[in-house]
Amino acid sequence: MIESILLWSFALLTTPLFAGVIFKVKAFFGGRKGSPLLINYYTLIKLFKKGSVYSTSTTFIFRMGPLVSLAAGAVALLFLPLAGHSPVMSFHGDVIFVLYLLGLARFFTIAAAMDTASPFEGMGAAREAYFPIICEASMFMILILFYRLTGELNMAAYFSVAQPLGFWQVAGSSMLFVVIAFFIILLTENARVPVDDPATHLELTMIHEVMVLDHSGPDFGLIEMGAFVKMFFYASIVSRLIFPFELGSPILNLAVFFAGALLVYVAVGVVESIMARYRMDRVPKFVLTSFALAFFATVITLEFLK
Amino acid sequence: MHGKPAGDGAKKIATGGSKGHMNLFFLSIWIVGSGGVLALLLSGKFSAMKTVAALVIVAGCCLGMLDALSKLTQEGSAQASFSYLNTLSLEFRIDGLSAFFLMAIFAISMLAALYSFHYMADDGKPLRTAANYLFFSLLIVSMALVVTAANMVAFLLAWEIMSLSSFFLVIHDYQAAENRKAGYLYFVFSHVGAMFIFAAFGIIYSQTGSFGFEATGLSPALKVVAFVFAFIGFGSKAGVFPFHVWLPHAHPAAPSHISAVMSGVMIKTGIYGILRMYTFLDLHAPSVGIMVLVFGMVSGILGVVYALGQHDLKRLLAYHSVENIGIILIGIGIGIIGVEAENPIMAVLGFAGGLLHVLNHAIFKSLLFMGAGMVLHQTGTRTIDALGGLMKNMKITGVTFLIGSLAISGLPPLNGFVSEFFIYMGSFRGISAQTLVFVPSLLAVVSLAIIGGLALACFTKVVGVVFQGEPRSQAARDVAEKGPAMLVPMVLLAGACGVIGIYPGAFMFMVVKAVTALGLDYGRIPMEPFAGMSANITLGATVFLAALLALLALRRFLYQGKPVTRSGTWGCGFTRPTTRMQYTGSSYAASILEFFRPAAPLEESHPPVKGLFPQKTHYHSHVHDIVEQSLEPFIVRPVGWLFDRLRWMQHGDIHLYIGYILLAIVVLLFFV
Repeated sequence: MIESILLWSFALLTTPLFAGVIFKVKAFFGGRKGSPLLINYYTLIKLFKKGSVYSTSTTFIFRMGPLVSLAAGAVALLFLPLAGHSPVMSFHGDVIFVLYLLGLARFFTIAAAMDTASPFEGMGAAREAYFPIICEASMFMILILFYRLTGELNMAAYFSVAQPLGFWQVAGSSMLFVVIAFFIILLTENARVPVDDPATHLELTMIHEVMVLDHSGPDFGLIEMGAFVKMFFYASIVSRLIFPFELGSPILNLAVFFAGALLVYVAVGVVESIMARYRMDRVPKFVLTSFALAFFATVITLEFLK
Repeated sequence: MHGKPAGDGAKKIATGGSKGHMNLFFLSIWIVGSGGVLALLLSGKFSAMKTVAALVIVAGCCLGMLDALSKLTQEGSAQASFSYLNTLSLEFRIDGLSAFFLMAIFAISMLAALYSFHYMADDGKPLRTAANYLFFSLLIVSMALVVTAANMVAFLLAWEIMSLSSFFLVIHDYQAAENRKAGYLYFVFSHVGAMFIFAAFGIIYSQTGSFGFEATGLSPALKVVAFVFAFIGFGSKAGVFPFHVWLPHAHPAAPSHISAVMSGVMIKTGIYGILRMYTFLDLHAPSVGIMVLVFGMVSGILGVVYALGQHDLKRLLAYHSVENIGIILIGIGIGIIGVEAENPIMAVLGFAGGLLHVLNHAIFKSLLFMGAGMVLHQTGTRTIDALGGLMKNMKITGVTFLIGSLAISGLPPLNGFVSEFFIYMGSFRGISAQTLVFVPSLLAVVSLAIIGGLALACFTKVVGVVFQGEPRSQAARDVAEKGPAMLVPMVLLAGACGVIGIYPGAFMFMVVKAVTALGLDYGRIPMEPFAGMSANITLGATVFLAALLALLALRRFLYQGKPVTRSGTWGCGFTRPTTRMQYTGSSYAASILEFFRPAAPLEESHPPVKGLFPQKTHYHSHVHDIVEQSLEPFIVRPVGWLFDRLRWMQHGDIHLYIGYILLAIVVLLFFV
């Protein structure tokens, strides 16, 4: 228990570091030296030192947005086994609770954006409300597959049980689909290229970045932190999917786990460097791909389990 | 108009002969009914009439609710019977299922009656307000009788009174042509629906020869036919797609406290009817479960898609009733499939989730309708795109509406999540089973996920456009909320959303009681697993709230001694923004509606901007309901054509009319 809490705190504290990796990868592809790895910590400290300017249009919901999204992300991470270690908390059905908690965070992020009366933020909010619907459907599709494989409905059962090869042993081909599907979900939910471009300069083409235009100071810092935690949540799931090994020693497990997470961040950086963002009306099709993959992954196991 | 109250009176005289433990129940509906009659007597003095009527109805409902609660904690059931006009016997019975619905009916009606005190503010029409109270009390009484009726005669009598009294409530504002049309549509739908229920009961009666709720000796095929007829009939009351067409017309037409009762509890009598039919028919056909589930899925998804396309706040909420009825039916469908698959856990979880959603939807939907009523009352408009920024001046309405929106989107830590959680748990139970159970379970899970996402999109639209941002028209500027009688019910309902969301344990106990009454032959349903799951939800919600509070403290610490200023919204460099440049509800929903275009055709009219000095232009969009659209060519016109051909029978000669009756009796004598 103590170890789990320690691990959780450690993960929370390292999330900005991982997000810095993406900048490094992009800089590498751009032939630049890039910002230091710790850039996100500097940004957070800078933001926390500042005051804020609030729009006259906003209400208390605007200030609730950052809090709810960070709280939801941190609590979601409580339920996730890190490095194969049992999570801080776990109960039957916690996956559903966590997914809906992330939904709550989305509700408040959107509501905070709508609070500003800005047409740009409204536009971003409309997109933020749209694409994750498909993500949610494909996430539940993956959940159905996992339930068929384990008969359990908690994340501890999926990501911390000691199996030499994890799900790959029973349903290897399905897992290939699941990893790709989940990576697409990760890109969509965390507003990365090719769904959203965090580095774009035109407000009209943004999703997540435009929704937080009016936040400033510590509030914005909390939003950034929330985004890092959410990204880490998804990345650690992918990490555990690709490296489900138990290596005996906790240190080795931890190393493999964080190496996997690092790999995911590097992959995100690579995708971001070599791809352009899709046209907005193409995005739903891209996200639907993940649903199709998850669906086929489940269909395949139907045959296997017979 | 006066026929029904008289019939009601006759029934009340008969209640003198009731025995058993239903005295308190009959006393409470007596009080509720007398509240309506007193309103009519006092119609000369407007405020005295309102006070007396509202108070008496509240008192009656309060008594009824307490009685229902005590019934829920007791074992067994209470009965009463008496004969009506010495020919038909009327039987009433309160078992766990009835008590559960009674609790919801009385609780919501009580708060709606309280709300009406300040809502019915037009003292220019005292008689109409008095009539409104009379029909309102009749509606409450008849709903209570519907869910307690223990034979077909009593049931249909109460059902008809319920349909008619709510019809008069819908046309309360009859001077508007739109409302008369809504009332007519409702009238037609409820009576065609009633016809199907008559047909279902007729089939059963033809085999059993008794009016009781029993189906011994019915062949399995006839049972299915009877259930399908009853499903159509009850579904048209509940607002199941495609029988929902009346709902989005009738709810906006009725006064808001009536919309709250109609949408919150009256349509649930349809769900009660379906459950009661399922119970006493003792059906064993897997196809029935799949049918209920598929209707639930379609209602759930299309209901929320159509809701997204609405511009009228109350119409939007009405479509959300279709969605939530869908969720309830998904739960019931999973329950029935679980029974057929001999998977008791799946069955109980499905039914329990569906029933808890009945209560939850009653709570948050009436809360939302009351909030919408407050908005309508103070701004005079229901058009979403004409509102905005109401949160600043209408704090209590805004916050309670926000809580209701979170609850209806099924988000933790509120009550909507709890019932959806149980339905999910039931559905997942079916995932590990064989194909015939796996496929419906998979569909249930995926459609619940899609419904959840769409509902979130829809309610961020409502909250964002109506309550946040800046006012889009003069109507929304400088409004204030008033009327404590309107605010108190909303606060109480919002509190209930939170309590059930965080501590669902006690409510699960009641729900399991109601599921036990379904007679699933599982004996006593153990409470431990439910208590465990409820405790898990409590744990999760508590941890989340604790994290939120901790962050709140952190935020306060971070802002200590920091400069906080206010300024305009960042307009990306544009210096002259107007409130009309805000994103509207129509634009917010446009891209999602585009995705569902085949099911929800969008009609737009937008004359293009032409020339150097263009004329003023406009944009108008309307999402067509495909059922409503196909009603005219496929139902109304053929039926009209048929009846046109039969007009020669109606020639105005009374002698021949009497001849028809004679002929009908003679023919019947031969056949029966």
